Amino acid sequence: MGGIYRYDGSFAGLLTLLARLLPDRILPDAIGVDPPQQQGLFTEVTTVETDQLLVEQFWEELSARLAPSCLKLVRLAFLADRAERELMICRYLLLAWETGKGIGNMLAHPHVAPLWKLSQQVGREAHRYLGFVRFQEVEGGFYYAGIAPDHRILSLIAPHFAARFRDQQWVIHDNTHGEGIIHDRHRRDWLILPMDVHAEPDLTPAEERFQALWRSYFSTLAIAERENLRLQQSKVPLKVRPWLVEFA
Amino acid sequence: MAIDMMDRLKILAEGAKYDVSCASSGSFRRNKDGIGNAASCGICHSWTSDGRCVSLLKILMTNSCIYDCAYCVNRRSNDVQRVMLTPAEVAELTIGFYRRNYIEGLFLSTGVVRSPDYTMELLIEAVRALRQEYRFNGYIHLKLVPGADPLLVQEAGLLADRVSINLELPTREGLALLAPDKSRDAVVGPMRQVNKLIVVNREERQVSRQVPRFAPAGQSTQMIVGATSETDRQIVTLSEELYRRFELKRVYYSAFIPVISDSRLPVWPASPLRREHRLYQADWLLRYYGFQAHELLDDEIPNLDTDLDPKTGWALRHRELFPVEINRADYEVLLRIPGIGVRSAKRIVRARRQGHLGLDDLALLGVVMKRACYFITARGRSAGACNLESGQLRSRLLGGKRKQSDSQLELPLSQPQTSEEIVSLVSGEL
Repeated sequence: MGGIYRYDGSFAGLLTLLARLLPDRILPDAIGVDPPQQQGLFTEVTTVETDQLLVEQFWEELSARLAPSCLKLVRLAFLADRAERELMICRYLLLAWETGKGIGNMLAHPHVAPLWKLSQQVGREAHRYLGFVRFQEVEGGFYYAGIAPDHRILSLIAPHFAARFRDQQWVIHDNTHGEGIIHDRHRRDWLILPMDVHAEPDLTPAEERFQALWRSYFSTLAIAERENLRLQQSKVPLKVRPWLVEFA
Repeated sequence: MAIDMMDRLKILAEGAKYDVSCASSGSFRRNKDGIGNAASCGICHSWTSDGRCVSLLKILMTNSCIYDCAYCVNRRSNDVQRVMLTPAEVAELTIGFYRRNYIEGLFLSTGVVRSPDYTMELLIEAVRALRQEYRFNGYIHLKLVPGADPLLVQEAGLLADRVSINLELPTREGLALLAPDKSRDAVVGPMRQVNKLIVVNREERQVSRQVPRFAPAGQSTQMIVGATSETDRQIVTLSEELYRRFELKRVYYSAFIPVISDSRLPVWPASPLRREHRLYQADWLLRYYGFQAHELLDDEIPNLDTDLDPKTGWALRHRELFPVEINRADYEVLLRIPGIGVRSAKRIVRARRQGHLGLDDLALLGVVMKRACYFITARGRSAGACNLESGQLRSRLLGGKRKQSDSQLELPLSQPQTSEEIVSLVSGEL
């Protein structure tokens, strides 16, 4: 069968696409958001419009066919910043349609293992960013944090910070993907929006004091006789350091 | 007291950093109209250049101390500047750092001033300010002061997530030698009391969820390894007892690093970090792998092998139990195979329900095949040479591993110098 498909890049969009493909057991040659670079002479690109009603029905069917842990796997893998993720999800679901709930245990299957690994990468990165976010108090009474994660983890970390800092106005800005979470303490609600920051944030005096205190505290913590920079770098990769107060 | 906050923070962090406990896990607190919560998984926020994680603001209330323990930087006779923070300052710092997501909570320890009771009250005051004035629901680890009143211990447990009291040295004799002012009973007493309170609290909470939690993340302790002459067997057996009798969550081991020279202390021990690492591995085997101390160490082998991990060492002494067929073995048996951990064992059990596993599948499930291959079969086939003679197998398992691990777990100072040089290096009097 095959074919090349396009969707709008949202999870609902992908679900719409899969809802159309799975009943006919179609495995596409490619699924993409942007138009494909190279196009074969005889392959046609099908663009699928998101259909909210279909999505809801399909999600119900998915929930009936798959265990919650498998649904979570699919959601996490979708957030990965990896071109083949849609195809991997598609292969996984095709297998699920054949095997049913048993797929939850087929950890070593060639269509399961890669997706599972990808979802683990996303989940691990999200967990690491629970620690790597650094808020800066900005003039105007809110806290701003910039991050640059590999995957689109904002929706995974938002509930954690919303519960923890519910009395704070805060923003977490994902510079890699140009998105941000905005938390509103009055409405006790958060949402993810496209975001772009041009100017350096204007820090409050208290912020500068706490940053200085934290830097000086952090610098005294290491025990010189036990230095192990390789271990440190495996835990705090260089790419996250520009965003951390204690390393910047 | 006119010393700047910056300097005091530095001095008090300096005094607290040798406490190794860093866990922020095991407690679950919701944010009820205040700030913060405790995540049951624990979250690390940064890592220092020695590779240890920073999760809690680890700090002393004061570094003045009436005691004179030989191994401690804060000992009475050590010539360092003495400073203190007020309970309000501790609370303010904690909240300031917490709001910026630098930390997961507070680890508050202290030197002992005036009396154990007075000191304990100071700690409690700081924590109460956090919990009640700031409505802080984050993680708090509170040190108990040896010899403090049982009522204060109880109060501490109701405010903190975890309490701990350090055993300091594995043996009674060691403690008498190096910490003459502390008695073993002053440490074990509160530990026993905390355990009783936790057990009672657990039962009460089964009757009513309204009963406030007492130290929901349990208690832990720490001992210094290598400052006195005890064997690994003594240490591991002691840990086993602590886990069994007092239900401790963690026992931390701290490789002895001489910060001050003292005639009672040994000169630099050989590869202390390697020994510490092996002790932690043995500790994990006790807690998660169903091993018992006497299986790992006995009269003939009183110390852990520094070159091999304790589980591989055990497997080499029990070749009669291997190879194990991974498609049939029980979970408990899988756990004892070198190269298979808790997670991979669980995955094997899950995955084999859907069909027999082959050797190729195992690496996908997270099994470390370079160790496991000598101890397993899959569908009756083995990957490595399962019938190698023990000595040969040992050298195979060691092969290739030496290169990297040697430099890492050896202290830079520990190799060539003579003892005199080392003492002067450490104390700074060159």
